[in-house]
Amino acid sequence: MKAFDIAIKDMTRSFRSAFALIFMFGVPLLMTGMFSLMFGGPGSNSQAFTLPVTKVVVANLDQGGPGFEAVKAQFPGGIQAGSMGDLIESVLQDKSFAELMQVTLVDSAEAARKAVDSQEVGAAILIPADFSARFSDLEGQASLELYKDPALTIGPGIIQSIMEQFMDSMSAAKIAVKVTVKQTGSTDPALIDRVMQQYLTSAPSGDQRATLLDVRTVTTNKQSGSPLLTIIAPIMGWLIIFYAFFTGASSAQSILKEDEEGTLPRLFTTPTSQTTILAGKFLAVGLTVVVQMTVLLILGRLIFGITWGTLLPVSLVTIGTILTAATFGIFLNSLLKSTKQGGLIFGGLLTVIGMLAGIPIIARGSPAADTFSTISLFVPPGWAVRGLLQTMNSAALQDVLITFLALTAWSIVLFVVGVLRFQKRYA
Amino acid sequence: MNQPIAIEVKNLYKAFGETKAVQGVNFTVEKGEIFSLLGPNGAGKTTTISMLSCLLHPDEGDAIILGHSIRKDAMGVKSVLGVVPQEIALYEDLSARENLAFWGKMYGLRGAVLKARVAEVLAIIGLTDRAKDRVGKYSGGMKRRVNIGVALLHKPKVIYMDDPTVGIDPQSRRSILDSVVALKNQGMTVLYTTHYMEEAQELSDHIAIMDHGKIIATGTNEDLIRIVGEMHRITLTINTESSRVMEAWKATQGVKQVTAEDGTLTLLADDSNRVLPHLFETAAANKVRISSVAVQEPNLEAVFLHLTGRALRD
Repeated sequence: MKAFDIAIKDMTRSFRSAFALIFMFGVPLLMTGMFSLMFGGPGSNSQAFTLPVTKVVVANLDQGGPGFEAVKAQFPGGIQAGSMGDLIESVLQDKSFAELMQVTLVDSAEAARKAVDSQEVGAAILIPADFSARFSDLEGQASLELYKDPALTIGPGIIQSIMEQFMDSMSAAKIAVKVTVKQTGSTDPALIDRVMQQYLTSAPSGDQRATLLDVRTVTTNKQSGSPLLTIIAPIMGWLIIFYAFFTGASSAQSILKEDEEGTLPRLFTTPTSQTTILAGKFLAVGLTVVVQMTVLLILGRLIFGITWGTLLPVSLVTIGTILTAATFGIFLNSLLKSTKQGGLIFGGLLTVIGMLAGIPIIARGSPAADTFSTISLFVPPGWAVRGLLQTMNSAALQDVLITFLALTAWSIVLFVVGVLRFQKRYA
Repeated sequence: MNQPIAIEVKNLYKAFGETKAVQGVNFTVEKGEIFSLLGPNGAGKTTTISMLSCLLHPDEGDAIILGHSIRKDAMGVKSVLGVVPQEIALYEDLSARENLAFWGKMYGLRGAVLKARVAEVLAIIGLTDRAKDRVGKYSGGMKRRVNIGVALLHKPKVIYMDDPTVGIDPQSRRSILDSVVALKNQGMTVLYTTHYMEEAQELSDHIAIMDHGKIIATGTNEDLIRIVGEMHRITLTINTESSRVMEAWKATQGVKQVTAEDGTLTLLADDSNRVLPHLFETAAANKVRISSVAVQEPNLEAVFLHLTGRALRD
């Protein structure tokens, strides 16, 4: 009962501190709000997140190739193309790309470059005269030029990505043709055309553009298809976890603070055991993080419309995170001699650990994402981030069990070491 | 058992590394009396109180508080004690009422009993009207009063007060000294530490003078003054090196002791009226100008000076 009284007193003090409230609730919400605004705006069903439409000029100088001259290529999906250049034109002008780019055709490479230099457009695609010819030559290498405004990054980057995927698809088709020619010994254009068509229609959708470009949306969570939520949900999850650990550390600092203020020694003069006093302090740390995480998860849902996952897995991960954040705070403070050291430790160590834990979110989609995810598991909040990402991806209860067990294991180790150090100090 | 002894301290020792803070302290405090530990800062008073509060384990020795040993029954000791620490130990972001309620719970009070006792203590310390204000907004004297109030919540039989008047205004000091006497009148035993001679002299039934971790004298105020006899304390300020007159003054008939510090000389003499003219004559002969003179009747300050060769506030 006395432990509970101590916990209530500590929590009352914490929640009366404007500084603590700002760090517990204000900063995570504010930062999430800023990310939300950066990427389009708040709203639970936000479709407002749209990438800027990039103006693109295409200078199609392609004269066609032997194969295209012999057989007017008919590509699946209804696209009619007399040359590879025509094909690229058609693909880029497809209505499904209308949200991403606005394509204009020009007659010369100079005109295209001039449009970029004068910042009328963000990028220019220059298709050389021998593009189809080189593509048709089984030993040749076809290339085109992407001329872009160096001051712009997102729009031209998207165009570059689209073109790379297009070229990859066509290269794959060409390899298929090459293998066929090598195996049959025939260079009959009709055969080649058939192979190309068979290759290009082999995609399950049968959609020309989808087959050629295979534009995939990489999703890390199930956020009702909203691109904005896909970005901000993991960020807010990360912020909640980071600030839960910060709160754990600053709440546990009340032990040192009370020692310095003289109230802890005074508590030791009352008929209350040291175990009860420390238990009360630890309980306060845990309960404070419970309140903080619960409120932030609910506000994340209400304000930003974030779906954290189904109740049981989210609860399990949240409990694991609370335990780890609270015990991490106890452990961290047990290493400190005074609150003066706290500023350096909290500012430095917690930031580094928080950044390590957030690497999987920052490095999403990068080739080294798996490596970064593994690195993040070397720090306790890394497991918490992993758990929340799992629940946001609709993980079931059994899917998050390992994460929960890892968090629990961290908690036990941190708690035992922290308690032993504090008991030794106040023995 | 109805023993007359409330506190029995037996040969307590405590060292912090090489520093011997308390060296074989012995004393007894009778029930219902005010017992003062008097000594300068660093004398070992707070370390002694800390051991008697079970905050520190003694290296050697023991103390029995109303039948409870500080070594064997710390919880028993704590349950009969109220402790007023030297520094204010309160939660500044809680109100006086919230502070008292919390500390009351720590002493095991609950429900209606707690509520009633908090109201009583607020009345005793005269802060009923300000009970809802946060302690952080209080003046130093008001905080001191709450600091004392906390120790009274569970109606302890023994109360320790460790230099409770440090750094407060005269009005608040007067209020605290009156409250100490009031506690005694209610039957409480008070162990009071101070470095203010006047407080010990005014309040105490018995006094122990501490210096360098040891008790150098114990007794009533009168007993202790008898150590220095009926000697007067004469403090003189001179305008030059003390060495020019010090030896001559030491040789003056009726002067028992001379100490010098920063241009101020302190003398113990049988009769100040008889000695002072000789002191002025000697000063004039040595071309020393006396700029001030103060004469004090025998008191604890003189006792401390007599026993240690230093002033109490050194």
